[in-house]
Amino acid sequence: MRCMQITSGLLSIIGAAFLFGTVHALIAKPVDISKVDLGDANKPVVGAEPRVPKTDASKGTETPPENGVDETSIDEPAEQVVIKTPEEMPTDARIDENASGIDASVPEGTLTLQQSYDLWEQGAYFVDARHEHEFEAGHIEYAFWLPSTLFDTDSDRAFAVVDRMPPDATVVIYCVGGECDASHNTARRLKQIGFSDLRIMGAGYDDWVAAGFPTEEGGQP
Amino acid sequence: MSRNEIPRTGMTESILLQLPLRVLLGGVFVYAAYNKIPAIQSFAEAIKGFQIVDSETHSGLIVMAAFVIPWFELIAGLMLIVGFRARSAALGIGLLLAAFIYALLHVIFTDVDADCSCFGDQNMICGSTVGWCQVIRNTVLLVPTVYLLWRGPGRVSLDQIFGKTEQIPAEPGKATQTITYDVDADASRA
Repeated sequence: MRCMQITSGLLSIIGAAFLFGTVHALIAKPVDISKVDLGDANKPVVGAEPRVPKTDASKGTETPPENGVDETSIDEPAEQVVIKTPEEMPTDARIDENASGIDASVPEGTLTLQQSYDLWEQGAYFVDARHEHEFEAGHIEYAFWLPSTLFDTDSDRAFAVVDRMPPDATVVIYCVGGECDASHNTARRLKQIGFSDLRIMGAGYDDWVAAGFPTEEGGQP
Repeated sequence: MSRNEIPRTGMTESILLQLPLRVLLGGVFVYAAYNKIPAIQSFAEAIKGFQIVDSETHSGLIVMAAFVIPWFELIAGLMLIVGFRARSAALGIGLLLAAFIYALLHVIFTDVDADCSCFGDQNMICGSTVGWCQVIRNTVLLVPTVYLLWRGPGRVSLDQIFGKTEQIPAEPGKATQTITYDVDADASRA
């Protein structure tokens, strides 16, 4: 008898949760967890100006410029910058469902470390989808912090970052790499907003650091 | 002649143990729901990140869970706090905790990098990335859950006000027993 009462009470709670959940689903924005369709893989790279790493002395002290470009870096001698044209870029460097990765160490359709660095040099926008404390401890130089959860928890802050990137810009999103879902979640949000050239770095931030590529510390300006 | 049923649970135990545990445990789940309900998209992404089911073929199941689980936490948590059908609420919370522990262990042993999202974007004691800390935390929460399931909500509860007296085993292994107290008869003897 007692068990029956407890069980019936539990079923009532489950029923009420389904009822409220259904009403919530009807009035809330649709939830989308589908795989992100990242569009035209052959679109030319769009971003800011080509960039070079900041000097070691400036690491962790400079803040990324408004358009993601270090003004001083533009004045550097051109021969220090290796810039590939869009035609020279391997097509599998863009997110493409049909692309076959040339580097087995990254998931299919994602950027290898070298491809990511090439895009970084060309001035593509980089977005860090990890946790804020991880971003503050160290992130790819000029990267913005934009995890998908920020759109729910602090949308003003999220759209402040979004507004700093043109919708047609090439945006490379990274997290810890491998099976990390955070990049895909951020890509989905940016796709919904209207960004058309989204690419995901298959290698993680630690791989970037291990390769000696430019990083900096500190929070988002 | 009126007869008042006196539960075996004492007032001291009710006030010092059962009520605080109900408020604490229920409050934890209400807080978790409060952080999840405004951010269902993030919670759905977190469930997807656990990779318990294939997100391509079972996306509807993940979205349904994202909408239902926070409301279940909210309803069960509130029922536990006020002591209404408290044993049912404790059972529901216990089953939910067991499911969470299973999911966390799945993530740990499959070496998936996933966010807990246990309290939305907030962290309670543990970090946001799934690890043994969350397993221990949920296991610790199971202790008061089992206690409340065993002892009931106590005397300071809506169950008591609405006349649902507790029937607890008088001694371990024996059948449940409700003790009644005849107030008028006792008064006439005096």
